[in-house]
Amino acid sequence: MPVSNDELKGLYYYLTLVRTTDERCRRLFKQGRFHGTYFSAVGQEATVVGSCYGLRAEDTIGIQHREMGAAITKGMPLKYIMAELFARKDSPDRGKSHPCHYGWKPLGIITPASTIAAQTVIATGCALAYKIQKKDNVAVCFVGEGATSNGVWHEALNFAGVHKLNCVYVVQNNLWAESVPASLGVPVEDVSERAKAYGFPGVTIDGNDLFATYETSQDAIRRARRGEGPTLIEMKTYRWYGHSEIDPANYRTQEELEYWKKRDPVPRFEKILMERGVIDESYKQATMQRIEREIEEAIDFAEKSPQPEPHEILEDVYAPLV
Amino acid sequence: MKMMETAKSATGAIGSDVKTMSYIEAITEGLMEEMQRDERIFLIGEDIAAYGGVFKATRGLYEKFGPMRVIDSPISENFLVQGAVGAAIAGLIPSPEIQFDDFISLAVDGIVEHAAKMRYRSGGMFTCPMVIRCCYGAAVGGGLFHSQANQAWFMHCPGLVVVTPATPYDAKGLLKSAFRGQNPVLYYEHKRLYRTIKGPVPTHDYTVPLGKAAVVREGQHVTVISYALMLHRSLEAAEKLAAEGIDVEVIDLRTLLPYDKETILKSVEKTARAVVVYESSKTMGVGAEIGAMIAEDGFSFLDAPVRRVSPPDAPQEPFAPPLAEAYLPDANRIAEAIRETVAY
Repeated sequence: MPVSNDELKGLYYYLTLVRTTDERCRRLFKQGRFHGTYFSAVGQEATVVGSCYGLRAEDTIGIQHREMGAAITKGMPLKYIMAELFARKDSPDRGKSHPCHYGWKPLGIITPASTIAAQTVIATGCALAYKIQKKDNVAVCFVGEGATSNGVWHEALNFAGVHKLNCVYVVQNNLWAESVPASLGVPVEDVSERAKAYGFPGVTIDGNDLFATYETSQDAIRRARRGEGPTLIEMKTYRWYGHSEIDPANYRTQEELEYWKKRDPVPRFEKILMERGVIDESYKQATMQRIEREIEEAIDFAEKSPQPEPHEILEDVYAPLV
Repeated sequence: MKMMETAKSATGAIGSDVKTMSYIEAITEGLMEEMQRDERIFLIGEDIAAYGGVFKATRGLYEKFGPMRVIDSPISENFLVQGAVGAAIAGLIPSPEIQFDDFISLAVDGIVEHAAKMRYRSGGMFTCPMVIRCCYGAAVGGGLFHSQANQAWFMHCPGLVVVTPATPYDAKGLLKSAFRGQNPVLYYEHKRLYRTIKGPVPTHDYTVPLGKAAVVREGQHVTVISYALMLHRSLEAAEKLAAEGIDVEVIDLRTLLPYDKETILKSVEKTARAVVVYESSKTMGVGAEIGAMIAEDGFSFLDAPVRRVSPPDAPQEPFAPPLAEAYLPDANRIAEAIRETVAY
C-alpha cells in the first residue's frame, strides 16, 4: 500500500518532535530542572515513530523507560510527558513512579515498571483480552535486544504464538543492553530468528529507515487485526548517548558511534521528503517553530504544576475494599 | 462459654436456605456463580480446563463456559500472572491459578511489581481487578516442594489483598468479594481443607467482606489469632482447654493483608493475652507482624508476652513421615502454649 504525502508529513512531524523533545529533555536534566535521571533514545526515533504512527486510540502499547517517542507518537499529550519527568501533581502517575515511566490510559499507554521485558508481557495479556472480547485491537510490544534473553519474554511470545494473538513485537536492537554488548546477550546474529520457535514470522529491518519501520509495522499491524497472529520485527538501530544521562558510555568506541551517527534517521528521512517535494525548507522551518512552541508550553505546564503533597503517599494503594 | 458455629460468625445467622458442602465444592460453586454473573471473568492455569485442575477445583467449568473462559496454559507461571495483569487493564477480570504455592516464586514479579503496584504506579489510572488462586499448605504428604505456605512474603506487598479461608462459607463468600472489587486478590486455598472440612453454605447469593476478621469462638482468658488449617487446630485446642476451665477466644483472620487490627485489639483488650498460631516457618512469619502490632498498639492491655506457635524454622514440611509429623503444630502443642500464656 503506497504511503500518502499526508502520512509522510505526519511521520516527519513526529520524527522531528521526538528528536527535539528528547534533546530538550537531556538539557533540562543537565540543568537540574528535573531530577532522578533521563533515558535518551536519540538515534532510535524511527523505530518508535514508524511502529506507533497511525495506531488507533484503543490499541495498546507496552513501553519502557526509553520509549518516550512511542508515547508521543501514540498521542500522549506533551504536557503530561513533561509533568511525568518533573514528577508533579499533574503527572498521570501523580509523582509516584519514576520520571521516565510514561503512561496514559486514554490511549492505552501502559505505565511501566522497571523489570525489563514485563511491558511486553503485560501488553500480550491485553491482546489475550482482545481475543476473548473479539476485538481487533492490536498490542505493540517494545523491548531492546537485551530483554529478549529474559525468560518471561519467551513465555509471552510462546503464548501469543499458541493463541495467535494480535501482537506486534518490536525489538529495537541497539547493540547494547546498558553496558553489555549484544554479542554477550544474544547468540544469534538476528534476534528475529527467535520468532521461528514460536510459530510466527520474524523480520529484521534497518531501524533507522523510517520508510522501512513504518511500512513493515503497518503490514504487521494489519496482519494482527485480521487475526492472523503476531509478528516480530527486529529494528537494527543505535542509541547515541549512554544508558542514562549519568552513563558516559565508555564501553563503546568512538568509531562505532560515528558510524551510526552517519546513519541518523532524521536528516535521512527529511532529505528524501525534500527530494520528493513532499516538504520544502519553509515547511521545515514552520514545523520546527510549531514543535519548539509545543515543547515550551509543555515545560511551562509541568513547571507550574504543584508538587505532590506528603499525605498523598497512601493514595491509590488500594481501591475500596468490598 | 459458647462454641460458635464458625460459618455463622461472618455475617450473623445464615438462615434456613443452606446446604452442606466441602471447602473445595464451595470454591467450585463460587467460581461457577461468579462466572455466570459477570462474563468478564475468565480462568487461566495449568491443567484447569478439561482436566478440571489437579485437585478438581475447576471441575465442570470448562464444559460450561468453553475454551475462551477456562484456558489451559503452558507451564508459564510468570506469564500467567503478568498476562493476567494485561487482561485486567484491558477490561476483563482474570483469575490465574498457581497450581501449588511452591511454584509461586516464578510469578512473584507479576504479583509484586505489576499486580500490586499497577494502581499506585499509574496514579490510579489503571486498576488491576484479578483473583490469583493459589493452592497451598502442609499436612497432605506433599513433601518439601508441594507443601509451602508463603503468605508472609505477600503480606509485605501493599496494594495486594491476601485472603485464606478456613470454612466453606468463607471460601465462597471471600471468593465472591474478591471478584467484585477492583483490587488484585491473592486467594489462598488450603489443600488439606479441600475435602476434610464440610459446612453450611447459603443457597442464596452472599459475600464475606475482605479485610475483616471473625471472632469464631468467644472467650475471656486468652485470644488465639489464626487462619485456615491452623484455625481448626486452634479450635480443637480451645475445646481441650475448656475442660480445664480455660476460656479461649479464637479469631479467624481470613484476610491477611490488609488485616483487621481492630478486631484483634478489641479482643486482646478483653482477654489481656494473645497467642498467634500460623503455618510457615517461625521467623518473620504471620505471627511476627501480628505480635509486633499487638506490642505496639496494645501493650497496655497485655498481662503476658505474645506467644507465637508455628512450625520450626525448617524450609518447609519435609517428606519422611517422622519429619513431617514434627513440622506443623497440632492441637496439643497449641494447647500447651495457651496454658503457658494463661499461667504467665
